[in-house]
Formats: sequence, structure tokens, C-alpha cells
Amino acid sequence: MNKLLSPDKSTVLFLGNEAIARGALEAGLAVATGYPGTPSSEVIESLAGVAARRNLYVEWSVNEKVALEVAAAASFSGLRAMAVMKQNGVNVASDFLLHLIASGTRGGLVLVSCEDPGALSSVNEGESRYFARMLEMPLLEPADFQEAKDLTKWAFELSEEIRNVVMLRSVTRMSHASGNVVCAKLPTKSRRAKFEYDGPVMDSQTGPMISTPVVAKHRLHQEKLKTVEALFEKSPFNRYSGPAKPKLLVVTSSVCFLYVREALSMLGLERDVGILKLATTWPLPPRLLERNLQRAEKILVVEEVLPFLEENVKVLASAMAGRIGVKTFFGKYDGTLPAAGELNPDIVARAIGGIMKVKPKTPPASYLAEVKKAAALIPAREQTFCAGCPHRASFWNIRRAIALDGREGFVCGDIGCYSMAALSPATGYNTMPTLHSMGSGTGLAGGFAKLSAFGLDKPVMAVCGDSTFYHAVIPALINAQHNRADITFIVLDNAGTAMTGFQPHPGLPVSALKETVPAVDIACVCRGIGAKVAVADPFDIDGTSKILTDYLAEKGSVKVLILRQACALSPEKKGKKTFNVRVNEELCLGDACGCNRLCTRVFRCPALTWDSARKKAVVDEVICAGCGVCVSICPQNAIVKAQGNM
Amino acid sequence: MKQPGAQARLKKYVLRQSLCTGCGACVGMCPYQVIYKDRTVQLFDCDLPEGRCYTFCPRTPTDYNALEKTLFDPRDLTDELGPVRGFFLARAADAGLRLRAQHGGTVTALLGLAMAEGLIDTALVSGRNDEGEPQGTLVADKGELAGYAKSRFIVSPTVAAFNRIDAKDREKTGIVATPCQAQALAKIRTAVIDGCSQAQSVGLVIGLFCGWTLAAEKFRGLLERFFIPFADLDAMDIPPGFNMLELRSSEKTLLMPLDEVDEYVRGACRYCVDSTAQFADVSVGAARCGMDPGEMRGWNQVIVRSLRGEKLIELARQKGALEIREAPAGALRELKEAAAEKKRQGLENIVAKSGSKKNLLYLKNYGPAAGKRENR
Repeated sequence: MNKLLSPDKSTVLFLGNEAIARGALEAGLAVATGYPGTPSSEVIESLAGVAARRNLYVEWSVNEKVALEVAAAASFSGLRAMAVMKQNGVNVASDFLLHLIASGTRGGLVLVSCEDPGALSSVNEGESRYFARMLEMPLLEPADFQEAKDLTKWAFELSEEIRNVVMLRSVTRMSHASGNVVCAKLPTKSRRAKFEYDGPVMDSQTGPMISTPVVAKHRLHQEKLKTVEALFEKSPFNRYSGPAKPKLLVVTSSVCFLYVREALSMLGLERDVGILKLATTWPLPPRLLERNLQRAEKILVVEEVLPFLEENVKVLASAMAGRIGVKTFFGKYDGTLPAAGELNPDIVARAIGGIMKVKPKTPPASYLAEVKKAAALIPAREQTFCAGCPHRASFWNIRRAIALDGREGFVCGDIGCYSMAALSPATGYNTMPTLHSMGSGTGLAGGFAKLSAFGLDKPVMAVCGDSTFYHAVIPALINAQHNRADITFIVLDNAGTAMTGFQPHPGLPVSALKETVPAVDIACVCRGIGAKVAVADPFDIDGTSKILTDYLAEKGSVKVLILRQACALSPEKKGKKTFNVRVNEELCLGDACGCNRLCTRVFRCPALTWDSARKKAVVDEVICAGCGVCVSICPQNAIVKAQGNM
Repeated sequence: MKQPGAQARLKKYVLRQSLCTGCGACVGMCPYQVIYKDRTVQLFDCDLPEGRCYTFCPRTPTDYNALEKTLFDPRDLTDELGPVRGFFLARAADAGLRLRAQHGGTVTALLGLAMAEGLIDTALVSGRNDEGEPQGTLVADKGELAGYAKSRFIVSPTVAAFNRIDAKDREKTGIVATPCQAQALAKIRTAVIDGCSQAQSVGLVIGLFCGWTLAAEKFRGLLERFFIPFADLDAMDIPPGFNMLELRSSEKTLLMPLDEVDEYVRGACRYCVDSTAQFADVSVGAARCGMDPGEMRGWNQVIVRSLRGEKLIELARQKGALEIREAPAGALRELKEAAAEKKRQGLENIVAKSGSKKNLLYLKNYGPAAGKRENR
């Protein structure tokens, strides 16, 4: 049995994201949508796995905005629905979200944002909590795995209570850690979808779903937020623990609650410091805050990245200062805690220890010495493309084309595994100096291409992955073509959303539910725009290099090259080798003039290693994926290949 | 700080300084450098402290006076023309060959003779690739030599092709070289780099007189304005008596004033001080003096420089491959004056670039200080 369908009262070890999925199932979810993004992807993946049993519709949408729109349609029809994304996905969805909140919803609608403090798998440290305040949307933050499930379930009820969307926010250490969860019953009845729109304009349950009349609906929404506040005052998910009159009150939410508990235990301060753990972080319940802020003179707010909670607590505290007195606040603003990067129990312990004048216990010196010894054994590893990664071959070709062209052309980067070309420049052969949000590479390239009249006369390229192409590149590509921006646009098509775990995308003939669906062909889309299109295999170094070099020399508007080669880790390739590759040591020139370790020093596939004693290149056959590209780059023909098992 | 590697120095002191002659000496030995559309392109960074690319380049600092003394009989050396063992006019004895040749067909006749007599197995000449761009081409069939006899005033990366020849076959390869290419080959013959390069044997070098060459890509654009596809260009010449460049294709012949050609001259040629291929075994150029222009067009001036060159010419006399006649009175003096003028201009441009009379860029120990020689 799928563990997501575990029976009532059973205790199950769930990944945080699975707990969220289970909570949604217990709430009677009908439709779940999302766009893959670490650390959010497992919510949709695990729901897709039980879709048939639970009669769900689950889809990987083209992007987060569309995901929220698809989920909203279910809500408008009275069903419970959820849209799941990572932090910056909320930015993508935010335009619709602004209008959605104005129109209101019907069936429970929950937006799940799984965020990445410290940017462990992101190129930003975006904070979607501010969207809750900016767009006036209730915000819930679970602090453990049981809460991840229970709060999700409650979020649907809250959404139906106020007839509007509710945001549930998780972070990497919640989404990707595991904990025990006691399950509740899964509902047996399902709702029928029914969309009404003939009622009065101000009636969000029977009238048209629109944001106008804007001011009237805005007022109505703000009244509903009073209901939210009242419900939050009574919420059992907000808890105080500690002495009645602590020397320090810590206000916290999310996994930071666990860090605070661990820090207090490390410091031995459980009896001196109190914790107000909040799960309902916007809008804050004022009376609950008033009761608890009264307990102590010193208040520390512990949260990750920006001082969102700190600001909101301070605003309330200043309004009630006459009743609770003036407090001394610690947090991000005074530098007690950093406003960038992840927190952990050590950082929190240092912060609390600093305020309480207690030194955290340090491990014995002998232990630290052992740690130091062990750390020295860890091999230094750089961020790089996997062995057999098509992106390595693609960037090799790009670098060659830029060098041959001779005008110092460059590539505008985008979001995917190929972002590594910017994060670790040697991996991309120093070709990709920009990296921003999904689709931005093409937009930027189109902009750079218009600067020749101002003296920037370099060939401009953009890359994007296949999934990114559908997500956000198409408008930028149309813009470039329409405005005659002379760019070379390269799609690194590795046949899946590789970075987040091979979720399907519109270019593939399969859906999240494993149904056969029509694939949208990238080449056809580009041709439809009017761009010149070529398709090549990046492993064909000469062929690809020739097309790229010709593209750079050619004046025109958008020139598209689709480089097709499946990811080396894709299910169809994994564990199989097209070629068995080895080095003929008699021919290997090593570090002599004439080669100077081209394969291990410049090409740098992790499967190619340098035997510094014998001064020869060696193929590590365990790591080697058998793509055979290194055979074509060796100047001595010293790397040889034989037919493999694929 | 770490001293920049050989490749980085090549970039800094040659490529970035516009001193690259496009001879191909730094190419064909490794995966890091290629010639592409007449440019020397560094594809990837090499960090070796010393390398053949830097050492073989004719525009990295070199004591050419010392090199001349090493490779030639010091008694033959002249200030203006380098080694001179003999000087005369010549043309191919085969009239058919002369018709297909640039001037007298002397180069083609000498290569053909060397091949027929087994002195060389292969000739390395300037040919074209599929795109019509010049490239060093190996010719093993004597009958095909005449197809490469015309001059196009564009440097072909011939030395790159030489670099790709198996070491054992080099001795038996006859190379047609511009002055810069002959300099590169002289450096290849003598260069020693620890652990990577030993002095290498180089076969017969037949040098071409050269005043300048054209920047191929720029010139290609110009030709296209005149509707002459680059690939259709059969030959170029500066006919004696005119200040015009003659462009010949199968379709038409164009004359262009040399003043207008000037902007298409390869920048690096302005810093050259060798117009007669001083490092060749035999140097051949158009006859320019002492006769009426029409007659001169059919003859070459020939400078014999080395013992190997002398033997080849001797053989040509014996086998009747060349018609040889004594140069008219004053011809050698005129040639010396022209060569000295090229040196003067080259040095002037070098000093203008370096900003100092003491810094002659790639010329080490050059000039009067390097020692007066007896003129022959």
C-alpha cells in the first residue's frame, strides 16, 4: 500500500512534503497542480502516485501561475485544490494571485510554497511570506511534521471559512526532513464540480469570479481578515511553552522552533527562556501576542532570512506599548541573528547565549581534533556537470564557437542544471556571465542584442532547458524575434525536468499521471514564431560547432539551435553505456606540450582522472557514463571507445 | 605572481599586438589553437610555462642575426638580403609551365625537379580548403604542382600543415614559404624546449619575395563588392611599371590602385623587415629591373642562400629544368635598395608601436649594434 494512504490513527514516517500531501488528502483534495522546484517537488509527485486511488486530478503545469490558475478553476467549481511551488514560483504566480484574492475563492484553495533559506538548491533566497502581507493572504507555517499534515488540512477549512486562498509555507528542512505523523481518516465522499456565475457581482459564491468592483471587494476581503484574526487567536497551533515569567521570550515559527528548543537544551536554559511558537504568522493574532509579550522584558524573534515576523511583532508591540510596556527586541534588526542564510541550532544558541550571557557548551578539544582530521579526508569537490552530461558537450561547442568567432560573444544563462556553467565558470568553459530567473536569459539576450548602436557589438547567445522553454522563455523569444534582436538561442533539450527529478513537461508525451498526452514540439513553436531552427546532437562536436559558428557569423534575428541529448541520469540511460571508453596510455601525451591534459584539465568530465604518478589520463569506468565525447576531443586519439551495453 | 604561460605570452605579445602573420607556426601541434578565417584563435587556455607555439612563432623575440649565423655560411651574409651565395634571373625551361605560372615558373620547376630527382617526396604549397580559404597543401604528384603556381598575396597557414607532418617525413618535404614562414621554419630547426621539443630537421625551403600580404577576411569583403567570389580569384600580381594590383579571376581582370589596397594590407606586414625570405635555401621573386616590363614579366630573380639551395640550382642547370641568365647590371643593387627600404619602414613602424628605439618588439639584438657585415 502507498504509505500516503495509511489508515486512520496509524503512525507513519513521512517526509515533510509527504505530510503536506497527506494533510491535503485528509482534507478531501480533488485537484493538485505545481511546477517542479526544489524543495517542493515531492508534494505533487506523491499525490500523483495516489491520484487513481483517491480520484484526484494532478498535473505538472507549465509554470506556477498556470498551476495556480488550474487549481483556482477547481476551487471556483467548489472543489478543494492546491497549487504547489518553490519560493520564487510564488513570484511567477503573484500577478494572478493578486487578482485571485480580490475575486475570492469557493472550494478550499491552498497555495503551498516550499522555500529554500540559504539557497541550497536555488539561485535566490526569496521570501514569499511578504506576499502574505502584501496581498493580504492568511499565512500558516508548520513547525514539525505532524503540524505539516494537520495545518495543511486546516488550511483548506480556513480557506472555505473566509472564501479565499490560504498560503502554507514550508522550508527545505521541513520539506526534506522526515518525522512521525499520526494519520487521521481519509474522507470517503467526494464533491461534484459545479461552477455558478449568475448571482450578484458582490456574491463570491454565486456571482462572476472577478476582482471588480475593486474597492468594494477589497473592503469585503479586509473584513474577512478580521475573521481570520479571530480564528488565529484560538488556534491550537500557536503555543507558549516555558516559565510563566521568562527572562527572555523567543517568538518563532517554522523549523526555527526546533532550532530554538535544541539551542535552549544546549544552553541548559529551558527553565529561563520561554518560547512562543506561532503557526499563524499573518495576520498575527493581537490578543495572543499581547498576553505573551507581557511575560518578558526581552523579546528575541527567531526566523530565517528577512525579519518578517520581527517587523509584524514590533508593529503590534508598539501599538500595545501602553499596556505591555516597552520591550527590548532582539532579532535581525539589531544583528543578533543574520538576515541572510539558513539558521541552525548553533547559530540560535549563540544568539540566545549572547543575550543571556551563557556560553554554549563546546565539545571537548579531543573531539574537535578528530573532526578536523576527518574533515581533511573529505575530497574537495567542485560543482560540475555529471559524467556523460550533454550540457558539458554543449558548452564545449559554445566555447569553441565563441572563440572561433573572435568577437568575445557570451551566453545569457537560465535556470536548470546548466546554471552550473555560471555558478562554476570553468564548468561552462567561461561562457556564461549572467544567471537570473527562469526565462530571463532569453529576455536579457534580446536586450543585449539591441545595444550594437551603443557600441556593444558582441554576438549574444541565450540557453535554456526544455522545461524552462515552456515555463517562461516563449514570451522573451517572441519579443526577440518581433523586435529583430539578433540572438543565437540554444535549447539544451535533455528530455525532462532533469534537475528536480525528471518530472514530465509539455514537450513529452506523458503527464504527471502517466497518461499519454500530446507533446508540444519546441522546434515547431520556434518555427511558428518565425525563427530559423536547427536541431543537433551536442555529442556531435564537429556538427554542432559548425552550426553555432555559422549562426554567430550570420546576421538576422532569432536563430534557434535545439541540442537534443537525454540527461545521463535519465531513466532510459541510467546504468547503461553507449560506449566503453578507455585511454591508450601509449598514445596519451599527458601534460606535455601538444596536449597539456586537455581532457582532465579543461574538458573536466568527472570520469576522466589524472594519474599524477604515471602522468597519464585514466577513465574511471565506475563513473564513466559511456557518452564517448572525450574520444572526439583527445588530440592524440588516445581515448578509444568500444560498443557498450546500450 | 606566476609568470604567464607560453600561450598567454603569445596572446599578449603577438596576437593582441597585431603582429600575427598567420603563418601557422603555432598551430597544428595541439588542441588549443587553430587558424580560422585567417585568424589565429586560442580555443582553450593552456598553462604550460613553455610551449612550441610561443617558441616557433616568428614574431616572438628572436635574435635573427644570430640565427642567420647558425644556419648559413657567415661569409655569405649581407645586411640587406641576408645570405647570398648566388644571384641571377631564371625561368622554367618548360614553356607550358611558364604559361600557368605567376612569372617565370621557377618555383614550380625547382619543386618538380627536386621531386623527380628524389630530393623530396612531397611539396608543401599554398592551396585552398573547401571554403576557398588558403591552407597548406601537400602535393605528392609532380603533375599537380602547376595547379598551385599562382600567387594570391594572402598568407596561407602553411607552417601549420608542416607541423602536422610526421617527423620522419619532414626531411623529404619541400616547402614554399613566405619570409615569415621561412623565419618560423628556421626557428623550428633550431628551437629546443626542455622536455618537449628538439631541433627538428626541415626539408628544402623555397622562399618567396614578399612586400606585404592582404588581410584575407577584409579583402574577401572588398572582392565581394566587385562581385568576385574569393574562391574564384585565380591570381594577383603587381605588374612592373604600374602602381596597381591586378586581380584575375576566370571571369575578369581588375586593376586596383595600390593606394586603395593599402587599407587591406595585413597589419602584421607593416612590422616585417624581411622582403626576400632570408631564411630560405633559395629565394624567388619577380624580376623587377634592368629589362623592359613585358620581358621581365616572364622571369624570376633568384637568390641562392644555402649549400642545399646551391646544389638544387646546380642540378637544375645540369638537367635543364631552368633557363638561367645573368642578372642585368644594377639589379642586385636595386634589389638591395628595395630590401633596405622595407627594413627601414618596418623598423620605423616597430618603433612607433613600441614607443622606443630600444624596444624593437620581436627583434632582439637587431640593427647596427648587432654587428656590421661586409657587403659582397
